Amino acid sequence: MLEKGRISPRQTGQLLFITTIATVIFFAPSLIASLAGHDAWLAALLGPMFTLITLLLITWLGRKHPGQTIFQYSETILGKWLGKAVALLYVWGFLHIGAMAVREFGDFMTTSFMSHTPISVFNFSMLLLCAWSVLVGLEVIARMNEFIIILIVSFLLLILFFSLPNWELDYLLPFFARGPLPVLQAALIPAAWHGNIIVLAVILPFMTRPTRAFLAGTAAIFASTTLLTIGVVGMTAIFGPELSSSFLFPLHLFAQTINIGQIITRFESVVMTTWMAGIFIKTSVFYYCAALGLAQVLNLKEVRPVVLPLGIILGTLSISLFQDVTMLGNFLKETRPYYTISLYFLGLPLLLFAVTLIREKIFGVCFGEQTNEA
Amino acid sequence: MPSAFSMLRKLLKYKLADNSSEEKQAGCRGDAIRQEDSPLLEKRLDLIRKRLGESKDIVIREFSSNNNQVKLAILYVDGLVDRRLINDHIIRPIQSDFVVKNFSHRLAEKNALQLLKKHITSISEVAEAANLTQAIRMMFSGDTALLINGEEKILVYSTRAWDRRAVTEPETEPAVRGSREGFTETLRTNTALLRRRIRHENLRLESMKAGRRTGTDVVLAYINDIVNPLTLEEVRRRIAAIDTDSILESGYIEEFIEDVPFSIFPQLERTERSDKAAAAVLDGRILIMVDNTPHVLIVPTSFFQFIQASEDYYERPYIAVVLRLLRLFVLNIALMLPAVYVAIITFHQEMLPTSLLLSIAAAREGVPFPAVAEALLMEAIFEVLREAGVRLPKTVGQAVSIVGGLVIGDASIRAGLVSPSMVIVVAVTAISTFALPAFNASIALRILRFPLIMLAGMMGLYGVIFGLVIILIHLAGLQSFGVPYLSPLAHGSVSDMLKTFARPFWWMTRRRADELGLQNMKRQAGNMGPRKTPFAKRELTHDNTEEHDAGKR
Repeated sequence: MLEKGRISPRQTGQLLFITTIATVIFFAPSLIASLAGHDAWLAALLGPMFTLITLLLITWLGRKHPGQTIFQYSETILGKWLGKAVALLYVWGFLHIGAMAVREFGDFMTTSFMSHTPISVFNFSMLLLCAWSVLVGLEVIARMNEFIIILIVSFLLLILFFSLPNWELDYLLPFFARGPLPVLQAALIPAAWHGNIIVLAVILPFMTRPTRAFLAGTAAIFASTTLLTIGVVGMTAIFGPELSSSFLFPLHLFAQTINIGQIITRFESVVMTTWMAGIFIKTSVFYYCAALGLAQVLNLKEVRPVVLPLGIILGTLSISLFQDVTMLGNFLKETRPYYTISLYFLGLPLLLFAVTLIREKIFGVCFGEQTNEA
Repeated sequence: MPSAFSMLRKLLKYKLADNSSEEKQAGCRGDAIRQEDSPLLEKRLDLIRKRLGESKDIVIREFSSNNNQVKLAILYVDGLVDRRLINDHIIRPIQSDFVVKNFSHRLAEKNALQLLKKHITSISEVAEAANLTQAIRMMFSGDTALLINGEEKILVYSTRAWDRRAVTEPETEPAVRGSREGFTETLRTNTALLRRRIRHENLRLESMKAGRRTGTDVVLAYINDIVNPLTLEEVRRRIAAIDTDSILESGYIEEFIEDVPFSIFPQLERTERSDKAAAAVLDGRILIMVDNTPHVLIVPTSFFQFIQASEDYYERPYIAVVLRLLRLFVLNIALMLPAVYVAIITFHQEMLPTSLLLSIAAAREGVPFPAVAEALLMEAIFEVLREAGVRLPKTVGQAVSIVGGLVIGDASIRAGLVSPSMVIVVAVTAISTFALPAFNASIALRILRFPLIMLAGMMGLYGVIFGLVIILIHLAGLQSFGVPYLSPLAHGSVSDMLKTFARPFWWMTRRRADELGLQNMKRQAGNMGPRKTPFAKRELTHDNTEEHDAGKR
C-alpha cells in the first residue's frame, strides 16, 4: 500500500468541501455573473447538481472495486494498456487542475497585493509547502484541513456578515430576465469546480468507512453550494451584475467595501489568508492524487520518487499555461467547464461505468466479489 | 527529510553504541581490582573498603552479639539515613541482654539471618539482598545493610531519611484557587501526594530504574482499569530502552522518549501541581515521576493542553470558557504579532486606517532602521532582559527592570532608535507570552517568532502565512504516544472539542476524552443535573424532619 494513513468520513467530506470552495468562491462569482446577470445565484445553486451524477458514478465504481483507486480499477476494467492510458489521463487532469489553482493564487497575489514580485515566487513557494505535505501523507493533509476549514468558513462568514449593511437586494431583480439558457450555461462554471469531487475516486479506498463516501460527498457538495450561493447573492447585491462581472477577484473588493464604525475596515488580508490556506490544501490534494496516480501506474513502492519531478512540472505548468490573468479568466469561463466536465468528471467515469456494466452483464465477469472473498 | 532523520538516527545509535562499549571497558577495569566475594565478614569488609574507596560518608561499624558468638557489621551512608532508627532498632536490640536471655542457645552464625530478621530487629521494612553488589546499590538509596559473618545473604533495612525540601506552593504554576501542594524533589513524597488524592486500589505506581551511574528511580503512575494498555506498554518500552549514564531531571527522560525528538514543540506535558497530576491520571493519562525532580511528566498530550490551567476546573465554567478563548488568542498574539506588524508596516500600509497609518508614520519618522531590523533588535533585547531577570539574584532584579524599562524603552525612543509603536508591539507580545499557562509551550513560540519576523520582512503577510503553514504541517504530523498532537481539533470527536475549548459543567462531563482509547469511558453517573426540587420546598422538608427528630427525643 502506498498510503498507510486512514481518514474518517468527516475528514473526507471536509477535504472535498475545501477542494471546491477554496477557489470557486474567489473566482467563479464574476464569471457566473458575466453570463447569467441577475440570475447568477440561480446558476450557482443549479450548477453543482451536475456533480451529483459524478458522485454517484464514483461511489458506485468504488463499491465495485473496494480498496482500489481510480488508477487501479481503470486497469481492472479496461485492461492493462488502455487502463494505464486512462490513469495517466487522470494524472494529467489532476496536474492541470492543480496548476490552475496555483496559477489563480499567483495571479491574485501579483495583481492585488504584491505587484512587483514575479509570480514564480508565489507559485514555487506554495508548491514547496504542498510537496512537503504530500510527502507526509493524506492523513496529515486531512488533519491540517480540519484546522484550516474552521479558519476559512469562519472568515468567509465573517466577511459576508460584515458586508450585510452594504447589500441592496434590488440588484437581484428582475428574475429570469435573459431566459433559462444563459443560466444553464453559467451553471456549468461552478459545476466545473464542484467536479473536483473526482478526488474522491482516489481517496475513497483510504477511508475508514468507505460506505459513507456518498454521504460525505453529498454533504460537501451541499455545503459548498450553499456558501457559494450566499457569496454570489452578496456580490450581486453589493455591486450589481454589470460591475461584478468586470472584476477579477470580486471577493477581494467585496472585503474592501466593509467598513464598520471606522474600525473594522480593510478585510483584504483576511481574504488573502483564507485564500492561501484554501489553495494550499486544494493544491496539496491534487498534487497528492497526481503523485499517487503516477506511482500506481508505474508500480512504485512509494510516492517519494515522483514528488519532486511532479512538483517541477506543476510549477512550470502553472507559469507557462497562461500568459496573463485575462487569458486565465477566459479559459476558466469558456474552455474549462466543457473540457473538465466532458472528460474527467463525466466522460471517463461514464466510460468506466459502462464497460463495467457491459463486462458484467454480457460477458459475465465478476467485479468486486472476488476481492471480497480473497 | 525522513532519510536525513534516519541518517541522523543511525549516527546517534552509533554514538550510543560507542558509549556502552566504553562503559563495558570501564567495568572490565573494575573487575581487575575486584576480588571474589566471600561470606566471611573480614574478607567481605576488606572487599567493600577496596570497592568503595575512602569515602568519609560511608560508615562501617563492626559489632558482635550473643557474647561474641555472632560477628556482625553494619553499613550505611551518613546523611541518607535516620541514625536514631539504626541505633535504637538495629544495634541496641542485637547487643542487648534480651538476646542473651532469650536466644542464647539458638542464635549462632548459621541461623542468625532469620532470627535477626524475624525476632530481634524492629524495623518495618526489611529485605534480603542476594549479593554484595545489590546491597551496595540499596545502601546508596539510604538503606542500611547488616552483614553477618558466614552468611551469603545480606539483610537490608529501610532507614531512609535525609534533608528534604518541604512541600511548598508550586512556583512555576501558581493558581488562585486549588491545592497549594506542589511536587518536591523526593519521589516518595510525590507518590504520597498522589495517593492522598486518589485513594483507590487501582492506582498503580510502577517502579523502574534509569541511568547507569545515577540509578534514578522512575515511577509510572496510572489507574489500571482506565488507562489505554497499548499506550502504557509503549511508555514502559521506551523508558526501558533508555541506556544512558545519567538521568538528572525529567527533561532527560522527556527527550529520550519523545515521538519526534527534533520537534520544537514539547510532546509531553509537565507539571509541578499535584492536583493537575491527579486529574491527568483520572483522565486516563500516565504520569512519569522521576526522583530528584519536582516536574512530573504527563503522556499522552496534545497541543491544546497548553491553553488549559487547573484552575479552569475549579472556578465557574463561564470564566473558564472565556479564559481559554483568550489564551488561544494570546497564543496567536505571542507567535505572530511582531511579524504581522512588520509585514503591514513594510508591505501593506494600505491595510491600516488612514489616521492610524499617519500616526504610525509620524512616530517612525527618523527611525534609522527598517521595521524588520527594529523588530528583531527589540525582540532580542527583550529576550536578553528576560534571561537576565531569570538568572539574577532577586535583590538585583530591580536593577534589571529599571535598565530595561527606563533606559532601553524610554531612552531608545527619545534617541530615535526605535519607534514607540514597535515598543508597544514588543511589550504586548511579551505580556502575551507570560499569559500562557504552559512555560514549555511558550518557549517554542518565543523561538518561532524570529523566523516569522524575518519571513514578514522578506515577503510580507504572504511570508507570515507561509511560515504558519510550515508550522501547521509540522504540528499536524506530530503525535504524542499515538494521539495526534492537534487533537481534538483534528481527528477528534465533538465532545472532546467541547471539553477542550469550553469546559462543561462537572455534572455534564459524563465521559472521559475519546481520543485516548481508554478502557473505561464513564466518569460519573448521568443524573446529576440541576435539581428539580425547589429550594424552599426542600428547606421545608428539612425543617420537618428536624422537628420530627426533636419530637422523638
